[in-house]
Amino acid sequence: MRRGISHSVLATVAVAMAIGAVTQAGAQEKSRLDLVLERGKLIVVTMSTAPPFAFNDDKGQLVGFDIDIVRLLATALFKDPTKVEFVIVTAEGRWPAIESGRADLGVGGTTVYPDRAVRVAFTRAFIDSGISVLVSKKAGIKSLNDLNQDKHSVANLNNPQMADRAKRFFPKTKVLTFDTPSAQFLAVRSGRAQALQIDTPTAEYFAAQSKDEFDVLPGLLGASQNNAIYLKPGDFKWWLWLDTSVGELRSGSWYAQYTEVYQKWFGRNPPPQKFYLQQH
Amino acid sequence: MRYVNWLTAYGPTYLNALGWTALTAVLASLGAIVLGCALLLIRLTAGRWGKRAVDGYVQVFRNTPVLLPIYLIYFGFPLIGLPWPAVVCGGLALVLQNGAYVSEILRGSFRAIDRVQFDAARSIGLGPWHTFRKITLPQVLVYSIPSLGNQVVLLLKDTSLLSAITVTELTMQAKLLTEQTGAAYEAFVVVAVLYLVLVSATEVFFRAAHRSVRWTH
Repeated sequence: MRRGISHSVLATVAVAMAIGAVTQAGAQEKSRLDLVLERGKLIVVTMSTAPPFAFNDDKGQLVGFDIDIVRLLATALFKDPTKVEFVIVTAEGRWPAIESGRADLGVGGTTVYPDRAVRVAFTRAFIDSGISVLVSKKAGIKSLNDLNQDKHSVANLNNPQMADRAKRFFPKTKVLTFDTPSAQFLAVRSGRAQALQIDTPTAEYFAAQSKDEFDVLPGLLGASQNNAIYLKPGDFKWWLWLDTSVGELRSGSWYAQYTEVYQKWFGRNPPPQKFYLQQH
Repeated sequence: MRYVNWLTAYGPTYLNALGWTALTAVLASLGAIVLGCALLLIRLTAGRWGKRAVDGYVQVFRNTPVLLPIYLIYFGFPLIGLPWPAVVCGGLALVLQNGAYVSEILRGSFRAIDRVQFDAARSIGLGPWHTFRKITLPQVLVYSIPSLGNQVVLLLKDTSLLSAITVTELTMQAKLLTEQTGAAYEAFVVVAVLYLVLVSATEVFFRAAHRSVRWTH
């Protein structure tokens, strides 16, 4: 009787271990890189409200610097820049889209923060960014000091970094929190707010688009930041491929393609390929 | 365990947001019912043009998504010199739309009143206002309780749209916590449960109200 019980316990443990071993081995074998290659296209989560990184142009086409970077990745994988399916989400929809495995990777003016990197993995940065303040010309604000008054309001996005910066750089200014950059711009255009915080390239893009409406305040809120590709953590092979590709774009064999895309969206050359190389 | 940890860390931050959702829902519901009654009064007493005006109003608001008036009022009013707070603008949009629905609900219930009562009212010398106030309105409201309950539940859920215009209600709180922590499921599951509690409380309230009026079937 006793022997019978211990046998069945042993058998159960053995079966459980076997199942565990099989599922673990399965999980290790299948990288998302293999899945993507089998599928024949990339599935990419992005936003459509973050010019010039990812936005809809006049014809309603999804375009932008980040979109072109993804098309370079598709070219590397499939020799075809069109083999990408974009999934459009709002700012806070980015994380579940990645966590659930719905998309292979995400782009769209996404800044790397250590507290974000707890939940999602990032590649190295594919573009330097920063945060600037865009002000309405009508408000007559010339500096961060002018903005720092309780009669002014600043339009933020709903990430905590924006709230922290507002507290640090203009603590007296009232804060309005929106979930899309388009709502931020509406707020400034309608006079709800006199200023908004946004990624520096976006601020410059909008100031260039409507010169008599907006100014970019001199000085960044925090010097430089990194925008990167984000993905589900834990898949080394997939992360390594993406990170290697970004490295090659910024300072390696695909620097020429990177330069072309950079020129197209920012009208100037990207930072030099290597700090010790002379650029022409 | 994941949710217990989440609630210990972030649970208290939901309370303020819960308060805003509940407060907006209650005040906007009251406003919508008052507006619905006013629209019914105009429809019944202001002749053919009054009826047409109310019909037009109902059509406009029934056929537009409520996010539209929310945006229009919040972003449009400052342009005409009325920079009202976001929660007032959003609440007003909810009142305007739900008032249209409420007036239609009340109009349906009005049909249930026996016409003889109006002849009786006239025969004892009641004018149009007193007939409306003493005869029509009490019966119409009571007959409408179940449908009004439904409408209030819809309004309660629509308060989530105020997150688009900076009001820190439950949905906004979930968005903020998601962006802060990257944990989407926990933030939104807690909010879903809180909405469920609010909706259930609303339903219990309206069922009790319905039961407490003895003379309906």
